[in-house]
Amino acid sequence: MTNLKKLATSVCAFAMTLSSAAIAAEIDYAKYGDYAKYGSATDVAGACSYESIDKKDYSGRTLKIITHAVPVMGEPTVLHAKQFEDLTGAKVDVVNIPFGDLYQRIMIPFQTGQAAYDVLFYGSLWIGDLHDHLAPVPAAYMDVSGMKDVTVNYKDVATWGSQMVQYPIDGDRHYVKYRADVFDNADLKAKFKADKGRDLTLPATWEEYNELAEYFNNKDWFGDGVVHFGSAEVSKRDDLMFSAFISRVAAYAKNPNVKGGFFFDLETMEPQINNPGFVKGLEMFMAAQKSFPPGGANFGLGDEIFSFGGGQTLFSYSWDDAFIQAQEKDSPIRNKVGAAPLPGAKEVWNRMTKAWDKFDTPNAPPYITWGWTSAVAKASQNQDMAFDYLCFFSNEANTALDLQIGRFGVNPYRTAHFDPKFWQDKLGWDAKVAETYVNTLSGMDKSNNRVFDLRVPGVNQFMSTMANGVAEAMAGQKTAQQALDDVAKQWAEIVEKIGKDKVRAAYANVVALEDQGR
Amino acid sequence: MDQIGTRFYKLSFLLPGFLVLLAIILFPLLFTIRVSLSGWDAITPGLGWVGIKNYLNVFGDTRFWQSMLRLSGMAVGSVLIQYVLGFALALLVWRDIKYKRFFRVLFLIPMMTTPVIMTVIWRTILHESLGPANDLLGVVGLGPYQWLTSPAWSIAAIMMVEVWQWTPFMFLLLLAGLISLPREPFLAAAIDGAGPIRTFFNVTFPLLAPVSIGAIIIRLIEASKLIETVYVLTSGGPGTATETAGYYVYIKGLRDFDIGYAAALSITYLVIMMILLTLIAKLLVKFMLGDKPQ
Amino acid sequence: MNGLVSFLKYAAIAVWSLFVAAPLLWAVTTSFKTANGVTGGPTYIPWLQYEPSLQGWRTLFGGAGGIDIVGPYIDSIIVTLSATAISIVLGTLAAYGLSRYDYRMGFVKNSDIVFFFISQRIMPPIVLSIPFFLMLQFLGLLDSKLGLILVYVALLLPIAVWIMVDFFDGVPRQIDEMAMLDGLKPFEAFWKVVLPNSLPGILVAAMFCLIFGWNDFFFAFTLTFTDTQLLPVAVVALNSSVTPWWSLSASALVSVLPLIVIAFFVEKLLSRGTLAGAIR
Repeated sequence: MTNLKKLATSVCAFAMTLSSAAIAAEIDYAKYGDYAKYGSATDVAGACSYESIDKKDYSGRTLKIITHAVPVMGEPTVLHAKQFEDLTGAKVDVVNIPFGDLYQRIMIPFQTGQAAYDVLFYGSLWIGDLHDHLAPVPAAYMDVSGMKDVTVNYKDVATWGSQMVQYPIDGDRHYVKYRADVFDNADLKAKFKADKGRDLTLPATWEEYNELAEYFNNKDWFGDGVVHFGSAEVSKRDDLMFSAFISRVAAYAKNPNVKGGFFFDLETMEPQINNPGFVKGLEMFMAAQKSFPPGGANFGLGDEIFSFGGGQTLFSYSWDDAFIQAQEKDSPIRNKVGAAPLPGAKEVWNRMTKAWDKFDTPNAPPYITWGWTSAVAKASQNQDMAFDYLCFFSNEANTALDLQIGRFGVNPYRTAHFDPKFWQDKLGWDAKVAETYVNTLSGMDKSNNRVFDLRVPGVNQFMSTMANGVAEAMAGQKTAQQALDDVAKQWAEIVEKIGKDKVRAAYANVVALEDQGR
Repeated sequence: MDQIGTRFYKLSFLLPGFLVLLAIILFPLLFTIRVSLSGWDAITPGLGWVGIKNYLNVFGDTRFWQSMLRLSGMAVGSVLIQYVLGFALALLVWRDIKYKRFFRVLFLIPMMTTPVIMTVIWRTILHESLGPANDLLGVVGLGPYQWLTSPAWSIAAIMMVEVWQWTPFMFLLLLAGLISLPREPFLAAAIDGAGPIRTFFNVTFPLLAPVSIGAIIIRLIEASKLIETVYVLTSGGPGTATETAGYYVYIKGLRDFDIGYAAALSITYLVIMMILLTLIAKLLVKFMLGDKPQ
Repeated sequence: MNGLVSFLKYAAIAVWSLFVAAPLLWAVTTSFKTANGVTGGPTYIPWLQYEPSLQGWRTLFGGAGGIDIVGPYIDSIIVTLSATAISIVLGTLAAYGLSRYDYRMGFVKNSDIVFFFISQRIMPPIVLSIPFFLMLQFLGLLDSKLGLILVYVALLLPIAVWIMVDFFDGVPRQIDEMAMLDGLKPFEAFWKVVLPNSLPGILVAAMFCLIFGWNDFFFAFTLTFTDTQLLPVAVVALNSSVTPWWSLSASALVSVLPLIVIAFFVEKLLSRGTLAGAIR
């Protein structure tokens, strides 16, 4: 199939007829919808390029893909599926599923031996439950330029033991988003100094974060009659709140001097969830509630994105989406925001010495939270085509365009993406915004005190019991200590039920990622 | 007609539907019972025998029993409201009223909206920052209410959505019942000189009692499966304030993928509901039909 | 006095109409918004308060970043109508039998059989997903319309039976006895005399079946992969990290439309049902 002529531009046709040392084609999505405004990107030669995929012939075969709801991840899946059809002659069927139901839609066929899908897009934290059902990425794909450029963190996220079983197509992390126009505002700075006796600076600790959020909560910042609030956080119980909680406790409980486990003590597999570090983090989370906007105690991720992205709050922290929303072309707060690493803590619990360790520079471990990843099912009859699709999905030209389309939810995960110029030139971000963004993101890759998700079998059981305990404390039904003690008890039961050795073996992989130096 | 002929007709009316239902439902039911005796979860799928361990755990699962209690309150409460409102509405548009047909159809619409989508819309309405509910109530000096963040209001909010969605169910059944009522009893009552209120209690209500009982029972069954509304509006929060049994089973079963345990919860739920509904049906018959055997 | 009663009557109707209509009106205005019309707080009037856009609607009909609901719409109609038709036919027969004859097997009586039917709806659907999945897998009907029809019959038949029994009970036995004295066979009596007299009940039961079938999300969701996608499943495919208030609002309106048309039709026949009942 050589539909490339139609697909890209006529340049390619020249390239193929002239010589193999070719002028690379310019790729754009104009044919597939109103994508014209995003311009074009250069096809980078290699096994995943438009040129190479165009040479494959998969006519008469069908590729089945399960992915997230549109647009986040779902829209690029569908778009690249259409392109893949045009290039290879394959038929590609895609189904889009909301996040809350994705897990069961993948698990039921896996557990009943039904080869329902060839390619899966899902949350990378499920690797502990899914890895047995996934086909390792073949060596050939490890050598392509796009894969080589993936940063260490995201290679780590995709790896189970010594094998890469997930295909990196996105990068995710939690970090703070703030209103730069507040922190740069001379009047507000002066007023803050008068009130608090110190300069208005970005929060270095969670204590400062809470304090600033409270100070600016329920106030008309700019004297324009609009009341703003402190902090928008993902707080709805079964809606990713567990990730927000981990972000908040990491600083208090991930001690750089202690190796061998964050959620559990790897040796005894005793839950650490109720140690004073976690309790402190939860108490800070509870205290922050008074700076939430109205309804903020029941915010899902979508609400958080709307709240901060719509200019309602001073802070939020979680994935990239709220930042991208704030930076959309027609956003009221475009170029008035900034990104910063998660705050830290000056006192960090040491579970070995059973004491608080003091830090002069706040301890701020990045939380390499789960995010979108992809994989090929082991039971798939179309593994060749499936890996080609993923490799094509993430080729340089596609990624360069996808990164620019905010709603796609494709966020930086290759070294090449951490270049402020890209965001300034392509999307018109101010230099300062682009720099805080890129520096925050790339800074996480340099840390060697990182927190990963609990990537073990039964991860959802652990996370939903944890979320339930946290919610009970947040609603005032239990104290922080009580709630987490109960969670610890349930965690011990879950470990018992799944099998201590099984959980430990899996958790050892996570600990190895966390503890390995750089 | 002779015995065999009657028997033939008797069975040929009932059996097709009965057998089809049995064929479709028998395997899932037996399978669920078997699964409830297994340790099926995310890591070890299959029917590995664990005996009655799951049931023992159900017994000591306070979160489940609390959610059952909460559910009973919410289900009974919202169904009663639906019944009273539905009956009232049916009476209102039963007889001569202007634009009768328009109102009849309008009142039916909520039931026809797709619950998974409509609850999302309700969430946008009750959104305390961006939604119209508090905004509009503020205009008349009410609120703001913590629709989805205070325990009492979230229960009220969930029940309100249920009432909105399902009052039409009662309305339609009772309206159809009213329309097909015979005229003679009403004429007789009129001749007796009974006023509208006495006519209602002496004639209308007793005549509609069978339909009412049927409607209430089926709504109780459906209302008890309350999952979607809870999931979208509060996902059981704040804390566990709105966690219902159905939602808890959903979390255990399809989120945590603790299939064996979820099956045990469901079977327990099924048995309890069967007993409760039988009792409720008996009580309703006694109360509404005045002890006459149905 | 009469004036007051009449006033209260209309006032009650007005209040309830407002409560019923308000969420739908909100959906109408929201369906023309974009993210900016939502994040700034509640707005109601297009042009005045927010810049309207057709994007929410476009995403439903194959626009970029959207879905195409035409195919799922047709699939939904096929599945719902088939399942409803089967359920009503089987349900009417069974309900008539249960209303007119005595079935006794040991301690099992008619009312127990009726309860057996309705009890099939008690089970939380969540736990049934895996057994139904395995059953359809065995039959080779996963991800197919036929498989869904089968499952829906199990869900709808109980409703049909439950509602119809009550309505048949309300049709006096004398009329079928008279018909049979006239020499009609039980099936003929049922078809020619009883059925026309219980039309309101059948219509109501059919309408409930249509509604429950049309709006089922759970089984349409768990028992399909990529080929068969019914309307609710296709629509929730829009519910991404950011809830798209606009397109979900539009889809709520689009998906309720066919049922409203049916409602008008049913209402009309219902009113006529009074005439049919008048012969009693």
